[in-house]
Amino acid sequence: MRLYLLVFFLGAFFISTAQDTVKVNTNITPDEQAQQHYNDGIIALNKGEGQVAADLFSKSIALKPDFDKAYYNRCVAFTMVRNYPSAMSDINKVLSNGPNNIDARFAKAMVFFGQGQKDSTNRWLDNTLGIGKHAEAYYYKGIMSYQAGDYNEAIKDYSGAIEIKPDYAYAYNDRASSKRAINDLTGAIADYEKALSLNPSFVFIYNNLGSVYRVSKNYDKAIEYYTKAMNAKPEYLLALNNRGAAKLESGKLEDAKKDFEDVLKKDPKNSSAFNNLASVALKQKDYKKAKDMANKAIELNANNGGAYFNRGIARQMLHEEEGSCADWKKASDLGVTAAKTFMNSDCN
Amino acid sequence: MNKRILFLFSLVLMLSGAFSQSIEFEKDNFPGKKEELKVARKQLDVGMEFYFQGRKEFDDFRKSLMSDKVLPVSTRDYLHVGYENFKSAQSPLMDAQRFNPKNAKLNYMLGFVRFFDSPSSKEALSFFSDAYRLDPEVEQDLPYWLGWCYQLNVNWDDAIKYYNIYLGRLNQKPKSFAIEIEDVQKKIGECNSGKTLSAKPERVFVDNLGPAVNTQYPEYSPAITADEETVIFTARRDNSTGGKKDADAGFYEDLYISTKTNGKWQPSKLLSKNVNTENHDASAGLSPDGSKLFVYRHSGKDGGDLYESTLFGIDWEAPVHMNKNINTKFHESSVSLSFDGKRIYFVSDKSGGFGDRDIYYSDMDIKGEWGLSKNAGIDINTKYGEEGVFMHPDGKTMYFSSQGHNTMGGYDIFMSTLENGKWSKPVNLGYPINGPDDDVFFVVSGSGNRAYFSSAKQGGYGDKDIYKITFLGPEKEPLLSTEDQLLAMIANPISNLKTEAAVEIKTAKLTILKGVVTDAKTNAVLEATIDLIDNDKNEVLATFKSNSATGKYLVTLPSGKNYGIAVKREGYLFHSENFNLPDNADYQEFTKDVALKKIEVGSTIVLRNIFFDFDKATIRPESANELDRLIKLLNDNPTVKIELGSHTDSKGSDEYNMKLSDNRSKSVVDYLINKGISAGRLVAKGYGETKPIDTNDTDAGRQNNRRTEFKILEK
Repeated sequence: MRLYLLVFFLGAFFISTAQDTVKVNTNITPDEQAQQHYNDGIIALNKGEGQVAADLFSKSIALKPDFDKAYYNRCVAFTMVRNYPSAMSDINKVLSNGPNNIDARFAKAMVFFGQGQKDSTNRWLDNTLGIGKHAEAYYYKGIMSYQAGDYNEAIKDYSGAIEIKPDYAYAYNDRASSKRAINDLTGAIADYEKALSLNPSFVFIYNNLGSVYRVSKNYDKAIEYYTKAMNAKPEYLLALNNRGAAKLESGKLEDAKKDFEDVLKKDPKNSSAFNNLASVALKQKDYKKAKDMANKAIELNANNGGAYFNRGIARQMLHEEEGSCADWKKASDLGVTAAKTFMNSDCN
Repeated sequence: MNKRILFLFSLVLMLSGAFSQSIEFEKDNFPGKKEELKVARKQLDVGMEFYFQGRKEFDDFRKSLMSDKVLPVSTRDYLHVGYENFKSAQSPLMDAQRFNPKNAKLNYMLGFVRFFDSPSSKEALSFFSDAYRLDPEVEQDLPYWLGWCYQLNVNWDDAIKYYNIYLGRLNQKPKSFAIEIEDVQKKIGECNSGKTLSAKPERVFVDNLGPAVNTQYPEYSPAITADEETVIFTARRDNSTGGKKDADAGFYEDLYISTKTNGKWQPSKLLSKNVNTENHDASAGLSPDGSKLFVYRHSGKDGGDLYESTLFGIDWEAPVHMNKNINTKFHESSVSLSFDGKRIYFVSDKSGGFGDRDIYYSDMDIKGEWGLSKNAGIDINTKYGEEGVFMHPDGKTMYFSSQGHNTMGGYDIFMSTLENGKWSKPVNLGYPINGPDDDVFFVVSGSGNRAYFSSAKQGGYGDKDIYKITFLGPEKEPLLSTEDQLLAMIANPISNLKTEAAVEIKTAKLTILKGVVTDAKTNAVLEATIDLIDNDKNEVLATFKSNSATGKYLVTLPSGKNYGIAVKREGYLFHSENFNLPDNADYQEFTKDVALKKIEVGSTIVLRNIFFDFDKATIRPESANELDRLIKLLNDNPTVKIELGSHTDSKGSDEYNMKLSDNRSKSVVDYLINKGISAGRLVAKGYGETKPIDTNDTDAGRQNNRRTEFKILEK
């Protein structure tokens, strides 16, 4: 009411002085300014401008130190820009005022997640789920289980997320990937397709679906889905590389070669495509070319274990036994397990 | 050579032309070449004489072998019988053939001579092939040798074709040819094995050990240490101890050694004088650790025996004749010591075996002597020859050569493993490790990845050379670089953190209403009273005045209320406006000039603050203030008679709108009557949608059209 009276007063003032122009009151209180910064921070956050958002929330907090929502949102902003210590400080403040704030608990789990602190992440995800249903908390538990190699547990977690949020396309995708990991290819295909039905714009799901079909040796389907991925996003070169791989595995060497060459037209520094061209050359028993292609792959990415592996094969067939064993050793060091098998069988 | 036989054979040669394309050495066939024919026939006679002498030796030897009811499987089993005569026959026969290349018999003889000089040579195949083309019947056994040539040249189908032709000829013969029939059937079986095995060749590299080991002379029978650093082998070089030569003009055998330095074989040299003698000394085997060497020597009537030499310091001790459990009056060769030195495997053709040469073994007794030998058994040994035994240092894998099992021809190399005291079925090591010719003396490295053997294959340094086989195993599948984005959050990161919602900022959100108040007729500016009414509460919030000099007014309307505005002046009809401003209405300005009308007949005003329930004629409570103002106007001007007209927008049917507006005007009239206004002063009139004052195409226009008006009918 006080505010209205103020306005009326001003109105009366303007009338009594018979001003020809209108003046609007721009004097706002510190609280109002804090709120304005806060709202602007949310706009920045929604635009993905984490640091801008964090700065605005900081201004808001400076004007209104008890502004809990601003602390929470600043935590979100700090998490976005990976400033985890500041994010942790903010979320702890929010939790000290409201320990049963389920979103704040989840946010704390996310701060730990961002820092790669698995145990703490899991503990705070459990803390979140301990006080209520939270689809995202289940989803991240799924990610943690997946990354720990416990695919059956991951499937349970993702299912928990889907139960709460039936249109959770991400959870369907990840559950499909978990099913693929335990060789439940039929289940994986069903989940990927469900994820696509929920959000057909997720190109990576087309690619994942193509790869399940490729693993199933259903190369026609694999090629179909890789192609869909590329049609949806022509610059999505990993699908083009994968399509080439499907073609190679189905024996269509020239078609595969064209795909890999097309990748290189768009990205001349694509180490994977060079390595795949090396694979084509190996299949065609053109070992010199295979070696050349693998060399380029390695030049572009010194950690391309597959390229060392393939160059090892090429060098063996070129009678460069010592070189081939050195390459397999390097590939093995880079995590290519099959390379160790070759070392054991061929390098004694 | 019996002159009479030679004459008869020549006669056949001449006459056979009547039944074939073969051209005989007749003067009619070579007009004008009498002298050349004479020379050619002389050369033919010379060559034939040597040929028939060699052939007789060969046929006699073959018959002697047949007493064992088995025919030679490998060309080497013929042991160069007739070699000297065949060699002497070659040159004159070639002279004759150059004069007349189209004589079937001559081509047959040349094929035979070349075959036993170099069995897999293209020349032998060509001569036999020409002979068959000129006259298939020129010799009964021609298809047999032609088939063998094709087999040795890895042409399995043609080999089978000619073996079957020969088999057809044999089947027309008496039962005494059963051995020959079995021999051809075995060779057809070998070709079928060859077809099968060569269809899926083994992935191997075959590399010559190079000039440090191999020379123009024969090198063979390699023995290698488990670490592949030392190779001891047999060679027949011109520096052979004693310099003696065999009948086939080859130097006597000696043992040579080469060692590897920095991965390269060093020039080979004669092994110790303690080992090499002026006689034949050949490599028979080497212990896995390279400390014991087994030597084959042949002297007198021992049939060929085995000796053992020990490495003492840097020199080999004089070989010691192995005991009677190993050596017999028969032929013993090829030794391999088990990894622990407690068992020895060797080859012997002594009686009591399964046929020809067999593999035996002997265990060392507590005195360190080799005990009674035992046959390795029917799983390993066949009725044909076994040779070149090599026991891998793993203690359970035996490599050996055999003319039996599923050989592709001659000796092939097989592998068998000892499982629970029983040898597994021998496995042919496959093509191209094995081929249709003899593949023997095969030793495998400790790693099992490489093997060493000797071969006379083309491209070497001369005669037999020692080669290294590198086993490549199954084809290695390349590793493709593929990538999936299995976790959505990694593929397309989004924040899963909810943000707290925006807050409502407590700043005044205003609507500013401004304008000028004038007289509707004269346009003179007027000072008027402006009431700001909260329609919901039916209370006057504030009262303002327009400027007396300019007529200007300005009213600020905070958002969140339904405002009624009444502009009044004595002697004029009041002017009514409505501003319904919700909470979230942002700042806005309206300019509304107000022309006040005098109270006179015909004047009309729109009552903007009279509200009805939706689609009904029920007056809403927030209309009270406006209606009270109207009542006051009527009370202040008691002679005035008015029409209350109600209007709708165009939505709905005409009839419906007419009825609705009619009812609404009556509601207002009823209200006024109830408030004490005489019914005689009031006329209710519904206009429906017939008198729009704005467009009906917009919400704002339709809102303007929905209105209640009053018009002064009388004053």
